[in-house]
Amino acid sequence: MISRRFVMGAALFIASSLCLSFPSHADLDPQPAKDMVSKLSKQAIEVMTSKGIQDVDRIEKFRTLFISSVDLPVISRFVLGRHWKIATPDQQQDFMKLFEDMLVYTWAVRFKEANDQITVQVSGAKPDADQGVIVESAILRENQEPVPVLWRLRQSDSGFRIIDLLIEGTSMIVTYREEYASVINQNGGNINGLLDLLRKKVGIMAQDEIASQKASAAGKAN
Amino acid sequence: MKCQNTASFLHSCSTVVGTVALLALVAGCADKPPSSDAEARAEYDRANDPIEPWNRNVYKANDYFDKAVVKPAAERYRDYVPEVVRTHVSDFLFNLRSPIIFANDVLQADPDKAYATMGRFMINSTIGLAGILDVAGKDIPRHDNDLGETLGIWGVGEGPYLVLPLLGPSNPRDAFGLGVESYADPVGRYASNMGYDWTNYIRDVMSGVTRRSENLDNLDEIERTSVDPYSTIRSLYRQYRQSLIEGKPTADKPRPGLAGEFPDTLELSQGAN
Repeated sequence: MISRRFVMGAALFIASSLCLSFPSHADLDPQPAKDMVSKLSKQAIEVMTSKGIQDVDRIEKFRTLFISSVDLPVISRFVLGRHWKIATPDQQQDFMKLFEDMLVYTWAVRFKEANDQITVQVSGAKPDADQGVIVESAILRENQEPVPVLWRLRQSDSGFRIIDLLIEGTSMIVTYREEYASVINQNGGNINGLLDLLRKKVGIMAQDEIASQKASAAGKAN
Repeated sequence: MKCQNTASFLHSCSTVVGTVALLALVAGCADKPPSSDAEARAEYDRANDPIEPWNRNVYKANDYFDKAVVKPAAERYRDYVPEVVRTHVSDFLFNLRSPIIFANDVLQADPDKAYATMGRFMINSTIGLAGILDVAGKDIPRHDNDLGETLGIWGVGEGPYLVLPLLGPSNPRDAFGLGVESYADPVGRYASNMGYDWTNYIRDVMSGVTRRSENLDNLDEIERTSVDPYSTIRSLYRQYRQSLIEGKPTADKPRPGLAGEFPDTLELSQGAN
């Protein structure tokens, strides 16, 4: 595993240094990334709003979709920043798991509340300077101004993966990095304080999710 | 005319920034990491919050006041006042801001924006019944503008992050902009000179309530998902203000402004090893 990572890292490094001399990334075809964003947002809204799925399965279906579309390991490392290197392997694993839960519950609810009155319209895609692709889209809602969203994707060994979302000029991963760095520093540089807070928060978010599902099930029964 | 309302009291008294800085010194500054720890120092500089302990106290007080007064008022406003009425109130208040917006459009040497603001103001103030109806909105979309943004475009830096009492996230540049605007605002001056100072209070309160009611979902969502709303709001505010100054990100220019804030390939691939 370590050697595979090393090889991948080395390959990435060589690829990136090649790009410095030859702008070959301009050949990167942005179309698959564009298609992926279109498909993903449709599927996510479908999973979270369609009828006839068991509520328990719904969130797990969403999680599967989410994990296969987002480069969680890379985002986790970026978000923890310098604290990633200080953290023990156990702490790193704990953080990755909790951060995954955090993102899943955050976005599952957002897509659910989208409530099929919302469409994500993908308008364009361009390769960026870092072997990635930026996909331009707008979230369209009835009677409201469209919200422009940029998706930042990177090529991984299994196709394009999302590494960031830019909404109203704000980057999702930059915001998480500031939030978590601030919590770690408030705890004197100890990462366990952040892990405890995340565990608590994710627990509450999961409970709220179950409660809202029960409430909507009760609502349908009446 | 001096200190005609809370906002201008806080801002037009130009000593406010100095006072806050002084109080922050008394309240204690954030511990600055030694320059030998380059990564810790970089993280500290990125946060741009040297008076964090003081800011957090103001944030706590604001949050307390918000939960007790502003948020309940905004919720009732949203739940009990019909949407049509709320739209008219919001359009009316926005129209009153037109002279300020126009001045900033001009200061930014942006004739397209200035024409748009002027056109909207003339149409909405007359046909739109003093701005209650946004008649012009169909053809000329609204845009906001402020002096903090203008100064930023002129190259004035934001300065350290600053949480203002009642008004929330800011910085010396944006706070100065707010102060000048509330002092110079022709609409406020006119009302005051005519002896209708009370209308300025109502305008401030209504602006606060409509703004809060429009952000109910956004702030609830931050509370739902953030383990430290203070730093989340700080980061969002700074990135958003910077994006207004540098222009909204596009596929050609995705970086949200703040230099070095966005990961490059090297940083990510280093993390991946």
